[in-house]
Amino acid sequence: MRGALAVARYTLVDLSRRRILLVFFIIGALGIAAIGIGLKIFSSTFVGASFSGPPGSEPPDPAKINRFLDLMFVTDLVSALGLFALLIAFGIGMTAIYHDLESGAAVAIFSKPVTRFAFTAGKVGAAVGALIVIVGLLSVEAVLVGLLFGGGLEQTLAVEAVAQVANAVTLMLIVLALSTWMNNIVAAIVAFIYNAAAGVVVALHNQIASGNLGDNAILHGIFNVLYWVVPHQLTSDAPRELVKAELELFASSGQPGPDVNQAVASVPGPSDLADIAWWIFVVIVFASLVYVAVRRRQV
Amino acid sequence: MAPVVSVDALRKRYRRRDPWAVDGVTFALEPGQAFGLLGPNGSGKTSVVKMIAGLLRPDGGDISLFGSKPGDPAARGQLGFAPEDPDFPKFLRAREVLDYFASLLGLDEGDRKRRIPETLAFAGLDQERRQVRQFSKGMKQRLGIAQAILGRPKLLILDEPTADLDPLGRRDVRALIESLKASGVAVLLNSHLLSEVELVCDTVAILAKGHVLKEGSMAEVVPEGRSLEDVFVELVQASAPPKHDNLPSFISDKENQ
Repeated sequence: MRGALAVARYTLVDLSRRRILLVFFIIGALGIAAIGIGLKIFSSTFVGASFSGPPGSEPPDPAKINRFLDLMFVTDLVSALGLFALLIAFGIGMTAIYHDLESGAAVAIFSKPVTRFAFTAGKVGAAVGALIVIVGLLSVEAVLVGLLFGGGLEQTLAVEAVAQVANAVTLMLIVLALSTWMNNIVAAIVAFIYNAAAGVVVALHNQIASGNLGDNAILHGIFNVLYWVVPHQLTSDAPRELVKAELELFASSGQPGPDVNQAVASVPGPSDLADIAWWIFVVIVFASLVYVAVRRRQV
Repeated sequence: MAPVVSVDALRKRYRRRDPWAVDGVTFALEPGQAFGLLGPNGSGKTSVVKMIAGLLRPDGGDISLFGSKPGDPAARGQLGFAPEDPDFPKFLRAREVLDYFASLLGLDEGDRKRRIPETLAFAGLDQERRQVRQFSKGMKQRLGIAQAILGRPKLLILDEPTADLDPLGRRDVRALIESLKASGVAVLLNSHLLSEVELVCDTVAILAKGHVLKEGSMAEVVPEGRSLEDVFVELVQASAPPKHDNLPSFISDKENQ
């Protein structure tokens, strides 16, 4: 415990002085502010006209337009937050353990009375802590930007921010584990490809489950298996609510469009307890892989 | 007297198709003894000390460190290891590195407050405010020695400790070894600087290609009227006689002159 705390403490000091994380944080903070302000200016200037509908049709309900704009605003903020959470996850994952192992710092550290388990626990704890603090600060900024323009969706934003942090933690652990086996840039590329492939698997699984890709039993079987070997992205109900609001707005303008319920069903819904349990399991598995890699490592 | 470390028939190779980096090395080190491990580049010296420090896994043989395996953290708590080409988390300062390692060693607040400034002063880093990434090789080497002695070890392993030090730094390291020996600390010294080894070590082992060529007290290894360097060169060359004068042809070729 003592060793893990010492490793965590000085890993946080080391990470806090890395310019790359500072740069990601500043770009993230500026990006969120720019997206929030830009979208609000754009929507208040132009969007009212674009929702007027075709000549002769009923004008859409202003409450629905506002709801749609609020959701779009939150979704864009969350997308920006998610992007920077991933960049920061890569930044921390590529450096937190790799630099100690590659620079030779691990030689001095491992010759001290610290177990590899305590070292791993300290490193993973510090990495997760740093990610939560940085993305937490960006989330607070996103909430403040939201409040600046009326607010009302703080809870949605908070839930989605938590989901983004959780997804970033999974990716960061993959990068951490891989970077103890291979060069950290290669590790980041492999993790990126794996994460993208996992996203495709989950999306296709959802499409198949909602019946949008036919009812081929073999396809069902394959994607059911693949679905349970990859991490699942956690989400709030914001993406589904956004699509629903958009389609309802579209329908209320009198234009023909897809069936709202069917279209909404194809969008991933909020993560349930099974998804959260799977996320916990995946995090434990990847953290264990980091430990196994560190334990096996000869320096 | 029970040895602080004993190594028996130690073997190590890095890949299955590689030759043995360490093959059948055996020695023991008692309290207050300074043991010199000598050998040309690639002879297996660093592999031996890294196995003793629990950083590498042996492929054969036994190591007893204070009566335990090197993997036992309690045994490593009595060990100080100054690695060759030491490095540290590069965004930390010297004082923070020592505080980090003091935490790993489990030193209490009082010991930290006393030992860290004294150790920094010994290493000549007490006025240094820059981060490790801005340190020269010599400064890193001094910090490497500082962290190795911070826990008042009963066994100090120094792997090429003076390679990047200036003459004053070398003199300080010699004085440190003498002082530690006098207080009963065992010192295992890996060095290319044979004159230095001759000055401070009681016993030596000469390694080549992972094998011990000769081991014993300084008087046993170095006969009267000869130097350690003479013996070292003779033994190492006998184990792998050079096919020619080893000079590149463009240097030794008379036609080009």
